[in-house]
Amino acid sequence: MTTRPRILLVDDEIAIQRSVGPLLRSHGYDVDVAGTGTEALKQFAADAPDLIILDLGLPDIQGTEVCRRIRLTSNSPIVVLSARGTEGDKVNALDLGADDYVTKPFGPAELLARIRVSLRRVATEAREDTGRLTAGDLTIDYDRRRVVRQGVEIRLTPKEFELLTLLARQHDRVLTHRAILKAIWGGNAVEQPEHLWTLVAQLRKKIEPDPANPRYLLSEPWVGYRFASSPPD
Amino acid sequence: MRWRHIESLRVGLGIVALGVCTGLYHAWSIANPAIVALTMLMVVLVVAAQAARWVAVTMSVTATLAFNFFFLPPVGTLTIADPQNWVVLFTFLAVSLVASHLSAVARNRTHEAVVRRDELARLFDLSRDVLVVTDSHQALASLARSIARRFDLEFVAIAIPKDGEWGILTAGSVPVDLDTRELSHAFAAAKASLEFDAHSRTYAGHRTMVVQGRTVQLVPLRVGARPTGLLAVVGRLVEAGTLDALGGVVALAIERTQFLDDRRAGELARQSDALKTALLASIGHDLKTPLTSIRAAAANLQGQYLNEADRQDQSDLILAEVDRLNRLFQDILEMARIDAGAVAAEFRWVYPSEIVAAARDQVGHALRGHEVRALTADDVPVKLDPRLTAAALARLLENAAQYSPDGERITLQTRLVDDALELQVQDHGPGIAACDLPHVFDRFFRGRSSRSRPGGTGMGLWIARSLLEIEGGRVWADNDPATGAIFTVRVPVEVNAAAAAMDTE
Repeated sequence: MTTRPRILLVDDEIAIQRSVGPLLRSHGYDVDVAGTGTEALKQFAADAPDLIILDLGLPDIQGTEVCRRIRLTSNSPIVVLSARGTEGDKVNALDLGADDYVTKPFGPAELLARIRVSLRRVATEAREDTGRLTAGDLTIDYDRRRVVRQGVEIRLTPKEFELLTLLARQHDRVLTHRAILKAIWGGNAVEQPEHLWTLVAQLRKKIEPDPANPRYLLSEPWVGYRFASSPPD
Repeated sequence: MRWRHIESLRVGLGIVALGVCTGLYHAWSIANPAIVALTMLMVVLVVAAQAARWVAVTMSVTATLAFNFFFLPPVGTLTIADPQNWVVLFTFLAVSLVASHLSAVARNRTHEAVVRRDELARLFDLSRDVLVVTDSHQALASLARSIARRFDLEFVAIAIPKDGEWGILTAGSVPVDLDTRELSHAFAAAKASLEFDAHSRTYAGHRTMVVQGRTVQLVPLRVGARPTGLLAVVGRLVEAGTLDALGGVVALAIERTQFLDDRRAGELARQSDALKTALLASIGHDLKTPLTSIRAAAANLQGQYLNEADRQDQSDLILAEVDRLNRLFQDILEMARIDAGAVAAEFRWVYPSEIVAAARDQVGHALRGHEVRALTADDVPVKLDPRLTAAALARLLENAAQYSPDGERITLQTRLVDDALELQVQDHGPGIAACDLPHVFDRFFRGRSSRSRPGGTGMGLWIARSLLEIEGGRVWADNDPATGAIFTVRVPVEVNAAAAAMDTE
């Protein structure tokens, strides 16, 4: 029997702790709870969890700051809980290394799905490192710069390949528009998302079975894109 | 009339002076015409320099006659033998006329300067009046009053056209009915032409009309070249240039009040925007957290994985969170009612102890786990709005319970102070940070440490203060270093004196 993944739940609301805690435990996770940012960092240092669920509105330290400090030493997935309604904090957290986000009020299924995806990413990352990724019927060979779907090679432009590689190497993680623009076009392009829209549309036409209903390149509205390694639940 | 007397006196004095000269020179037998003429000329000059023109002429003619009669040969007659003496005579006349003219001009200038200085001072005072006016409702009426007072006018009207109607504000001791058609004509004329008359220092558009036998001076109010209204004055005749300047001051005052109004409106709109943002942020967070917990807890109950005790815990959690949402909605509704002005005070006779009981009853859920000690001194009937007072007190008790550790005592003291009922809520919490004290009653304000305390909506204290204000009461917060925060309410009341007396017996 495999060990149960350990999740650190960071939220100052007692009600969230009391409801989300049992939810996670009953779905096969061990749960530690922290009510403040300081406590969260302390627990994180003492016993590295497999995943962190982090509320952005903490009483002492800003959630984004907690996110940044965790990323200094660890690659554990961070799923951000945001309730502020402001997109800014959420996007900042993702830019600072958070993997995913759920917006309050979220449904339990949504949270559990995000947790599963994030944990799977870490698991496959550890196994892979082979220079290729297979997701569904799509195979990406990073070294040979080849993309094959159902045995047929897909010809991509260098920029398209670059975008696909960027997302696929961090599959199942939300990359913000800003981060993608910066990585592909450089720091001057971060205010020009139209480049990205065009490129994503081109890439979807080539790799998606149904470009109107993407299976691999998923949009996170107003936030960014993610590469889904497995079909959504 | 008095003026005339003074002038006659001057003529008399001048003639006497001439007589004295004549007498003296006769007595001393000085007959050199040059000396006599110069002396007389001096007298004429002195008188003419101070008097009106007719006095000067009279003086010079008299002097000429006297000189001719007494000193010019043939002495004793008014005939002139030597034609050269005609020159002397004309010199006399000319010098005295020129002197009197010069002095008259100088005096006129002085008089004009005094008048202008006086009007400038009045204008200055008026402009100061304008500057202290801030409330636009009162501004123009008080401006009209100021003009009437500063310029000693019997009637002043500021008329401003608005949507085809004339808004007229009047002041002064004599009421005058202005004909609005006449005003419209004058206003149209002022709009049509803009010419500056450099001599009278006025712009075009001045008018005079006669209403009820009185002369009404009309002057357009202009901001730049654009006329914005009319000023009508009755009484002392104000010089046209001054009237024009007066019009300018009034126009600026109107402009200023409009500007102040606009700014106030802008400020209000900005505040309301900030409020909406705060409302959305605050309520957004307060709504989403309970909803999230309820969803998760309901999912936990649906699944079959919890034991009985945990299931109980989850259903308790749901009920608690629903209560929290319910309180939040009540607060939002109460806030909306206050904002809409839908809450009115109803004053009734009531015992303070009833208010305390009602307040405790309203927030029984929050006070569970706390010991409330109520000390009611002066429990005699008072007249106030018991509903508002109790609701406000309930908010304060709820707040005290929130900020006190479980099991700590909350003290509630009630007493009469002067003509007010004082209610004091004292908790054993951490107190209020000094920097937070001025803001605790602000809407959506939460102390820095309160984020970790669920349950507060940030509206309670604001609602308490607003309810108390409706019945004329107030509330303020303090710290007692020994215990915690103290909230004091003071509501002005009528006290039933008879009952109070009976109570003390």
